Amino acid sequence: MRTILQAENLEKVYRVGRVDVPALRGVSLEVQEGEFVAIMGPSGCGKSTLLHLMGGLLTPTSGRIIIDGEDLTAASDAKRTDIRRRKIGFVFQRFNLFPTLTAEGNLRLAESIHNRNGKDDPERRREVLRLLRLEDKMHHKPLELSGGEQQRVALARAVVTRPAIILADEPTGNLDTENSAIVLNMFQELNYRFNQTIVMITHNPEAAAMCKRIVQMRDGQIVEPAQNVRM
Amino acid sequence: MDNLIISNIRQRPIRSLVSVIGVALGVALVMLFTGLAHGMSNDLQRRSQNVRAEIMFTRPGTMDNLTSSTLNLSTKYVERLQAVDGVEAAVPIGLYVFQGGAGFGFEQLEGVDWPVFSKMNNIQLEDGRAPEAADEVVIDYIKAHNENRKVGDPITLLGNKPYRIVGIFSPESGSRTKMTLSAMQDLLEAPGKCTYILVKAKEGVSEQALAERIDKELPGNKVQFTRDVFTSIESRIPFLGVFLKVLVGLAAVVSALVVMLAMYTTITERTREIGILKAMGASRGYIIGVIEKEAILISALGLVLGFAVAMLGGLLIHRRYNLIFEYSWSWAAAAAAIGLLGGAIGALYPAVRAANLDAVSALSYE
Repeated sequence: MRTILQAENLEKVYRVGRVDVPALRGVSLEVQEGEFVAIMGPSGCGKSTLLHLMGGLLTPTSGRIIIDGEDLTAASDAKRTDIRRRKIGFVFQRFNLFPTLTAEGNLRLAESIHNRNGKDDPERRREVLRLLRLEDKMHHKPLELSGGEQQRVALARAVVTRPAIILADEPTGNLDTENSAIVLNMFQELNYRFNQTIVMITHNPEAAAMCKRIVQMRDGQIVEPAQNVRM
Repeated sequence: MDNLIISNIRQRPIRSLVSVIGVALGVALVMLFTGLAHGMSNDLQRRSQNVRAEIMFTRPGTMDNLTSSTLNLSTKYVERLQAVDGVEAAVPIGLYVFQGGAGFGFEQLEGVDWPVFSKMNNIQLEDGRAPEAADEVVIDYIKAHNENRKVGDPITLLGNKPYRIVGIFSPESGSRTKMTLSAMQDLLEAPGKCTYILVKAKEGVSEQALAERIDKELPGNKVQFTRDVFTSIESRIPFLGVFLKVLVGLAAVVSALVVMLAMYTTITERTREIGILKAMGASRGYIIGVIEKEAILISALGLVLGFAVAMLGGLLIHRRYNLIFEYSWSWAAAAAAIGLLGGAIGALYPAVRAANLDAVSALSYE
């Protein structure tokens, strides 16, 4: 199996005024192709920092991150952005859709950023929309959609460009139980049908239980070795 | 249209409209001012083309023969000029400049001895006859056409003095309205005086040599070539060109500032969206491009509106005040460049600022 994400001894220290605040203290993690990994832990344990480092939105104080064979930590800011464009899809807790665009417009925007030549892939778009059951919502703007539908659009936007890995930051954090279950099922579907590699941060044990593996964090460290929940 | 740039513009219609108007104002100002300067200058040149005399003889100290209202030159000089070797004809002209009928701009009125004036300049009466009485004037065919006047119509000049149109002449030459010189002398209480004398050289006589001869025989007066007097307004009015360039520069600054302000507030409002773009892998160039395209689209709309306002404004001002606007392609191109470049440059700082935002901070922006 191919290693999609490799984090080696990651450390991240934030400077707050004159005080150094360590957020990560030597985190190492490997994610294989097709894995669906949950990262759990209490607030402030460094989950989001780890996700932002893995997505190239932050740079570590020390350590190394390799995404699908490309070293994020050795890359310039522009190169990191380029790796993000080609290999990473983000899903956020607050959906983060463009409110002025329709659901389809949000997907097209992702495609236009991903495909610099301006070409899109309508077949792929249709496939993703069908899978996420959004075909009849394509011409709706985010405010015309429920929370669950918005998050499904966000998921569709993340996956439509065929990223090597999806990084999801509390994707069910703003959803009720019913919509959480729908969205989590969609994650599973994507993982199963497209062999999509997913790393998801969550507080929710039920959400984590739907993943193939759970990583527990505390005080900036991984406290439990990778745990296989189910295969 | 499901496009980020257009949807952003439509999202805040009032702000977009204000930005468009800001750009349009700059463009319209450039077009109107340069159009007016060109229009008036070209109009003057067209009318001066039919002045056949080569030399203009005046008293020293006469500030400007086109805007002067003084009759300070004795008509006795006519005989003395005609006696100078090489002079074919000398025609006295009285010139009076007064405020336009609509209270804006100015109009010229000439007092002439019609037979000699028309003969010298080959002016024909298309309709009616030459002015004879003190309350009679002739107008050129352009004025008759523009103001829809005909022979026999009353006309008010010099504020509220009533006159009557007795003839329509062509081609246009000098002022568009003419009365008899004696009527003007009576009007200005300056009997035996005129403003300047037009001197036509005999065929084959060098105008330079004739001017030198006149200056020698009638010293203490001002001898000018008509080609120097009836030149473009732009070259006659000192610093008009500089003024126009400063105006263009100011218009560019106004356009740039309006767009910069609009885009700056846009960026602040859309900080989170810029964070999303960054998370999606949008490069700095892409983000700058999105903002620049939005600014250029706003500027382009402002450009169209500005041209429309200039055209309509020029037409309305012409109808109301009889001022002439002539728009040139070169100034239109300059105005277009100002509108577009001003917008693009104005948006550059906000765009670069947006592109340099920290992605994580931008994503957590409330």
